[in-house]
Amino acid sequence: MEWRHKHLFDIDDWSREDIESVLNLASEFERRLDSKESLPSLKGRTLVNFFLESSTRTRVSFEIAAKLLGINVMNWATASSSMAVKGESLKDTVWTLESMGVDMIVIRSSWVGAPQYIARKARRARVINAGDGTHAHPTQALLDIYTAWKRFGSLEGKRVLIAGDIVQSRVARSDIIGFKKMGAYVFVSGPRNMVPLHLDALGVSYEPDFIKAVKEADVIYLLRVQKERWKASAIPSDYEYHMNFGCREEVLKEAKPEAIVMHPGPINRGVELSSEVADGPQSLILEQVRNGVMVRTALLYLYLGGER
Amino acid sequence: MIILKGVKLFDGERLREGLYDLLIEGRIVKRIVPTGNMNMFEGAKVIDLSGKIACPGFIDIHVHLREPGGEWREEIKSGALAGAYGGFTTIVAMPNTNPPIDSPELVRFVKLTGERAKGAKVLPAGSVSKGREGKELTEMARMVKEGAVLFTEDGSPTVRTDLLRSAMLYAKDLGVRIMEHPEDPYLSENGQINEGKVSAISGLKGIPATSELIDVERCIALSRELDVPIHITHVSTALAIRAIRKAKEEGVKVTCDVTPHHLTLDESKILESGYDSVYKVRPPLRSLEDVEALWDALRNGVIDAIATDHAPYHIDEKDLPFEEAPSGIASLECAVAVVLDAWEKRNRPVSLDRLLRLFTSGPSRVLPESYRSLGYLREGGFADITVIDLDKVSRVDVSTWKSKARLTPWNGLSLKGWPILTMVEGEIINDI
Ligand SMILES: [Zn+2]
Repeated sequence: MEWRHKHLFDIDDWSREDIESVLNLASEFERRLDSKESLPSLKGRTLVNFFLESSTRTRVSFEIAAKLLGINVMNWATASSSMAVKGESLKDTVWTLESMGVDMIVIRSSWVGAPQYIARKARRARVINAGDGTHAHPTQALLDIYTAWKRFGSLEGKRVLIAGDIVQSRVARSDIIGFKKMGAYVFVSGPRNMVPLHLDALGVSYEPDFIKAVKEADVIYLLRVQKERWKASAIPSDYEYHMNFGCREEVLKEAKPEAIVMHPGPINRGVELSSEVADGPQSLILEQVRNGVMVRTALLYLYLGGER
Repeated sequence: MIILKGVKLFDGERLREGLYDLLIEGRIVKRIVPTGNMNMFEGAKVIDLSGKIACPGFIDIHVHLREPGGEWREEIKSGALAGAYGGFTTIVAMPNTNPPIDSPELVRFVKLTGERAKGAKVLPAGSVSKGREGKELTEMARMVKEGAVLFTEDGSPTVRTDLLRSAMLYAKDLGVRIMEHPEDPYLSENGQINEGKVSAISGLKGIPATSELIDVERCIALSRELDVPIHITHVSTALAIRAIRKAKEEGVKVTCDVTPHHLTLDESKILESGYDSVYKVRPPLRSLEDVEALWDALRNGVIDAIATDHAPYHIDEKDLPFEEAPSGIASLECAVAVVLDAWEKRNRPVSLDRLLRLFTSGPSRVLPESYRSLGYLREGGFADITVIDLDKVSRVDVSTWKSKARLTPWNGLSLKGWPILTMVEGEIINDI
């Protein structure tokens, strides 16, 4: 199977078939692992986790995924993005990595567009975006879709609520694109000052009443309030946020019984959701983490041109 | 002696009927006569320009020359040459250097260094406050004596309204005006691009149009109250244009300029290019509707000048991921062509007279009274002349630039309509 994309910046230029290929492959890999069959091998390939912004969970997820395929993994993490890179320019670092024989650069950065920049400078290596600033997080979106798809079979017509700090969320942007491509209806909720003013550009609607939104949803996707990114104070207090936009037991009681609760992690217990909900029967938060490995394994396989 | 032969003549106000010969003697335009009627002077150099348009030398009231303190980006000399090669005979150097131009000595330094450059005339702008700290007024009177023609905190707004008000009143009797970079610092903080569709899609922090509008309204309110003129630079939004238009209709003495990039590029370029930092500029590239509003404003006379806001950076500083790169587009050497090309592609929505005024008599009116003659081409005046050829097609090639900047959105593009000769006080600088 020939994969037509060279780099993965976001899934906005993907077709629904592209997404389905990844879901099917992830599912096949998961089945093989569960029945102790071996996965195909991409031995001899080298991947670098180039993390300019720290994220242990995403990095480890890629690392495990790569190792399942026998890919060599290096970690090139820089403690804090900006200053550390300025000494050695980003472009020089990319060329250095390529000279060391790296086939794939998995980049996490606080800068929107950093993956595109690296891909423009790279001569050979493929680039996967593991999160760029407040823009996109395509592998997260794919694992979220995979998780909901496994639960519901089809996402056609399903109502996906994304709630919280939308304006600062790369996860929200990629999830909106991905779930819509899969035929779901996506809408958002949260304090109005945390929702982009030009929401029409994202093609979703806004429901200010969180409880009303929860009642309608099949997927309740909660986002973390990214306090560190807000210059002027955005919420009066964690408690007020929790009482108005937090997914609490009383709120979840209003939801459809088959509705699922998801979160990209790390979670703030007692803010966007309560422990009872996070650890409750409708929560798929831990399953998301496991699915992340499977989806990333499928992506590495496709992007590094493995045969099926 | 030089004779420019067979030119169309734009005198600063209008394009005259017929063709003319211009006799330049020393630094002065000696004679302007219908073509063929000029006695051939012994030893005069005759330049045949049949059908090209001779204009008063173009004036750019907003350029960054980076000296002192940023010489690796641009020097006064390289900037003055870049200006002349771009068709400008006069450029106003912004004061946000390091140190800022906040004293008579530094004004003199810019002026003298400019004179030695033998390019476009360099007129210094001074900062409104000492050290650009926004606290104490600079010695404006002494600075004007040394040649400062405008005062501005450009690069940022004059944050304290009391300081701005005080500066406007103080400057009034010196015959100079304050140029305001319109922005609300809190609304724009950490902003990367226009707040709108592209910021919603990309997640890049948006700078709302109201950030500009709020400061424009503040300037208008002060100008109205004090009856003192003010100039608002690089206006980029339909909202601000509407406010300025209303103020002008009321008789408020407000003037404004727009840049070639805001007239020709919109925010969608940022997505299309995969977040290429050449499109990062402040104020940010706005929506298509804003671009249309700017052209409307050119047409109906709300805009007084086109100014480049030429902001050179070294390639190592600017060739970075979008969020890390500094803001600024370098354009001195192609700005005139960028505007003429867009004007042609839009089927000439503005009359040629009006368009050329925006480069000549328009900006000269923003300068002190004593510089007014710069915007006009007349017998007896200084021979500051820009000749343009509306049909010339040429490719932008940064490797030939006199400017030290090497990143520009137009590099490699073919543009139609170029300045082909720049003469500063009788001296031909750029003759292509
Ligand atoms: Zn400027």
